[in-house]
Amino acid sequence: MAEPLIKIENVVKQYTRDTQVLTVLDGLSLTVEKGDFVALMGPSGSGKTTLLNLIAGIDRPTRGRILVGDAEVSAMGEGALAKWRSEHVGFIFQLYNLVPVLTAFENVELPLLLTRLSKKDRRRQVETALGVVGLSDRMDHYPRQLSGGQEQRVAIARAIATDPALLVADEPTGDLDAKSGEEILVLLERLHAEFGKTIVMVTHDPKAAARAHRLVHLDKGVLKEDVRAKGEKGEIGVAAAAAIAAGK
Amino acid sequence: MKFVPYVLKSLFRKRTRSVLTILSIVLPFFVICVLGTLLATLDADPSGGKGMFRLVVRHKVSLANFIPEAYRERIAQLPGVEEVTILNWFGGTYKDNRPENMFARFGCEPEKLVKIFDEVTIVAGTAAEWASDRKGALVGERLMKRYGWKIGDSFVLKGDIFPIDLELTVRAVFRGSDETGVYFDRKAVEEAVPWAKGQVGTFWIKAASAEAVQSLPRQIDALFENSSFPTKTETEKEFQNGFVSMLGNVKAVVTGISTAIALVILLISANTMAMAARERVTEIAVLRTLGFGKSLILTLILAESLLLSATGAFVGLGLFRLSFPALKEGLLSSPMAGFAAGMQLFPEVLVTGIGVTLLVGLVAGIVPAIRSARRSIPDGLRQVG
Ligand SMILES: Nc1ncnc2c1ncn2[C@@H]1O[C@H](COP(=O)(O)OP(=O)(O)OP(=O)(O)O)[C@@H](O)[C@H]1O
Ligand SMILES: [Mg+2]
Repeated sequence: MAEPLIKIENVVKQYTRDTQVLTVLDGLSLTVEKGDFVALMGPSGSGKTTLLNLIAGIDRPTRGRILVGDAEVSAMGEGALAKWRSEHVGFIFQLYNLVPVLTAFENVELPLLLTRLSKKDRRRQVETALGVVGLSDRMDHYPRQLSGGQEQRVAIARAIATDPALLVADEPTGDLDAKSGEEILVLLERLHAEFGKTIVMVTHDPKAAARAHRLVHLDKGVLKEDVRAKGEKGEIGVAAAAAIAAGK
Repeated sequence: MKFVPYVLKSLFRKRTRSVLTILSIVLPFFVICVLGTLLATLDADPSGGKGMFRLVVRHKVSLANFIPEAYRERIAQLPGVEEVTILNWFGGTYKDNRPENMFARFGCEPEKLVKIFDEVTIVAGTAAEWASDRKGALVGERLMKRYGWKIGDSFVLKGDIFPIDLELTVRAVFRGSDETGVYFDRKAVEEAVPWAKGQVGTFWIKAASAEAVQSLPRQIDALFENSSFPTKTETEKEFQNGFVSMLGNVKAVVTGISTAIALVILLISANTMAMAARERVTEIAVLRTLGFGKSLILTLILAESLLLSATGAFVGLGLFRLSFPALKEGLLSSPMAGFAAGMQLFPEVLVTGIGVTLLVGLVAGIVPAIRSARRSIPDGLRQVG
């Protein structure tokens, strides 16, 4: 059994508006192993994004503990969390969220600006990251000069630029056509298989979830199902993913 | 330093808007520089320090009242008085009453005048030729140019206070101080107007020392306090500022206008920065997700705001420098010419202008900056923009 990377213990997340308390996550516990590729599914409003934000340390639980690696992210201060994120987590968003006034190169360089790396080392790392996503020839392009799929690949390059162990992705293919989405999934699989990244990916798409090695199903803030792949290549498979997505 | 490209590129995210905003800082900045320079010019000493040692004695009630010439001897006896001379405002009309035909005209004592105003230089003709001609005129260089006069030309001043028409001949030209003035021998008036004899508008005194400048006004005014013609003695500076205050409370008005303009710049930049920050809620949340700390975000937004106002200030400064000679030229030919000689690019005015503009940039940027940095990251990411 591999060692755990993420440990979520009895996490409660509530939002209070006036006197009303909305419980989004209700005593959720989950462990993710190092090097795993987890798909997070569930109906809209079930708390997937909320859970992802908690894991990634951009939000904090109302109660409960979250550990990622050696860090107890649920107990860290804001400044410490920011530094921790820059070193340990890479983010991939549904809408890519590149900075429109910066080139692909500059976008990927952003997280590296927070390190002590020299300009030369930064350049080397940006080139490596853009090479991995296959966009070495688009370094000086601005986001508006790229297709959606290419933008998302730049975003992935930005997420891996500092070589973090954990990648979180919130519906990374949600805004893409089937072909571009497929390319992104292939890329994520490679990052998992070749580079040993631990990936937590929120998705609505059973085809995307099928690529994962574990599928966690959230409903109304609680864990409903947790399926581990048994297939040869370690994938969930389309049939199983579709069944779970259908809430069967 | 490595964040500079981001700040620069952010600044010109909306090129048209940034350019318009910069322009809306440039123009008010320019106006503030002009107004500030005018104010500083009123305070400046056009004589280049020489005026510090000059005092002016006049009738206590007003400049329209005369004092007796006999006062001269009593003043001259006071210790610290080096020289005393008479300057009488002639008034009158040259050609007509249009503003371009207005200039100062004084009856004076030629030999003494050049001694007291020794910073003034004669650039054509000689002081001696002028002094030896009862109807000779010493004319400012600028006025010579305005009318295209040459040495030996004559012109007529129609009297009003004094009922005579003076025909004067240009005998000398001076440079320095108010170069639009005309000076002639006061005897020309006294000989034609009997009642003017022995009547003095102002005595001008050259004091021997700074201490004398301090003590003489009180001593002189005390001498004549209980006479039928009490006096008021002031430094040259105070005397001139008396004219400024006659123009109404110019300083308060100009300061008020400048403040209003500064506030307008503030509102415009604040609005631009607020808009820029609002459009970028998601982007800022993304940067923070990547690990950009609150203080770094705050710094980046403030840097952008400062850069915006600094660009405006420096463009405005350039514009002001370029147009300064024309401005000064304009003032020198105006009825305010007496003050214009002291006009220069006052560093304190420029520094204040730039300082105010940068401060405005900082204040304008600070609210959106703090708001952006404070917002929770999930909130920022949720906002679709
Ligand atoms: N700041 C907030 N204040 C109040 N309620 C919030 C806030 N953020 C999220 N919620 C609520 O929490 C619930 C879960 O939101 P979340 O974004 O995690 O859902 P999700 O599973 O990602 O949904 P989707 O599939 O639509 O993205 C929703 O009902 C949402 O309205
Ligand atoms: Mg979501």
